[in-house]
Amino acid sequence: MDKKIVMPGEKIADSRIRAPNTFYEGEATFATVIGTLDETGRYIPLENPYKPQVGDLVVGMVVDVRHAGYEVDLNLPKGGFIPSRDIRVALQLGDYVICKIKLVSEVGDVDLGEVKRLPMGKIVRFPPAKVPRLIGRKSSMVALLKENAGGDIMVGNNGYVWISEKNNMPLLLKAIEMIDVKAHTSGLTDEMAKFLKSSR
Amino acid sequence: MGGSTDIQLIVDGKRVDGRAPDEMRNVRIEAGIIPEADGSAFVEWGGNKILCGVYGPRECIPRHGANPYRATIKCRYMMSPFSSKEEHGRSGPSRRSTELSKVIREVFENLVVAERFPNTQIDVYIDVLQAEGGTRTASVTAAAVALVNAGIPMKDMVSAIALGKAADVLLVDLGKTEDNFGQSDVPLAMSHKDKKLHLIQMDGLLTKDEIADMIDMAEKATEQIHEKQVDALKRFYENGGNENFKW
Repeated sequence: MDKKIVMPGEKIADSRIRAPNTFYEGEATFATVIGTLDETGRYIPLENPYKPQVGDLVVGMVVDVRHAGYEVDLNLPKGGFIPSRDIRVALQLGDYVICKIKLVSEVGDVDLGEVKRLPMGKIVRFPPAKVPRLIGRKSSMVALLKENAGGDIMVGNNGYVWISEKNNMPLLLKAIEMIDVKAHTSGLTDEMAKFLKSSR
Repeated sequence: MGGSTDIQLIVDGKRVDGRAPDEMRNVRIEAGIIPEADGSAFVEWGGNKILCGVYGPRECIPRHGANPYRATIKCRYMMSPFSSKEEHGRSGPSRRSTELSKVIREVFENLVVAERFPNTQIDVYIDVLQAEGGTRTASVTAAAVALVNAGIPMKDMVSAIALGKAADVLLVDLGKTEDNFGQSDVPLAMSHKDKKLHLIQMDGLLTKDEIADMIDMAEKATEQIHEKQVDALKRFYENGGNENFKW
């Protein structure tokens, strides 16, 4: 499939289409961030700060312990909040957690729920716009990485990726970097499968 | 502007550095060269070398500067102490760098879709590593690329160029000597889609007709710069990074 890179201010359709990161001028639709445009007219951003949405699965680190709950760094201007009464375990400063976004307020405050504390590991930053490629169709890419690196991986929609210390770290970090670099190409899962097989 | 010199700024239709009146200096643009920044760009424009990093949207500091309706854009233009023969940056911000930070900020306040990130700030840091006239226009050009690289939504792309007059000839892309000793100096920034002027300053004297001619010339010149900006970004995203970057 042929893809074209579009710049901010470039026309992506002659009619008004509903898509994030666009604006209308007259009857035409224009892009606001750099992205790709394929033959069917689908516009996908290449770079985009994370926008929290209710139901998103996010990975983060506890950065503040308050009397009513915990503040979690989520790759956002403001941290998310976990109320203490919603969780049974006590969290500590520096703990990694995976949770679901329960509520996003008008001013951008994020309330979290369904909290799970993650065991020893590491958080890697990944561009939020490319997260769908890291997950893959029906999480095929995550499954592939888990199988080859030998440990657990949690991908948050916010662009934070938690990887277990049981993983083959050098291989996994290289693989994640490769997905970042080649996020706009098609047939990525097959390519990654080949890469992982050859370097095992 | 304003100085006097014995240098002939135009000889046989050629300028001091051998360029034709409508010829630009060599421009090289690279995107995404600071891995830790959200977006970055490097511009080498003749003897100018400019590095730009964009961070954000992030928490607005100080808090009272936060706007509940839109993101606050903060811009810091700075000349390195070693960037030119004159002294720069020895004791923090100067009158000149404060002005330039302001005009560059205002260019992007008009272009960035700031309503999407209320209560936050977007930081644009511009460092002039080497200066040879026309740093504010090169800075706007660099900042535009860095903002696109950071994924900050913008309504249009912008490129900037300085035009001027020396020995009664209109010139495109003024160099340092022409800037200092010419008759007039007009830096301007023009958006690509709408061809709107987002920055125009003037030093010296020009007639109305000359200004009109200059804006036509600027349209052609900014077009060339825009192509280079797009090329830099396309190269960055197609190669998936900037591993072969060389200073």
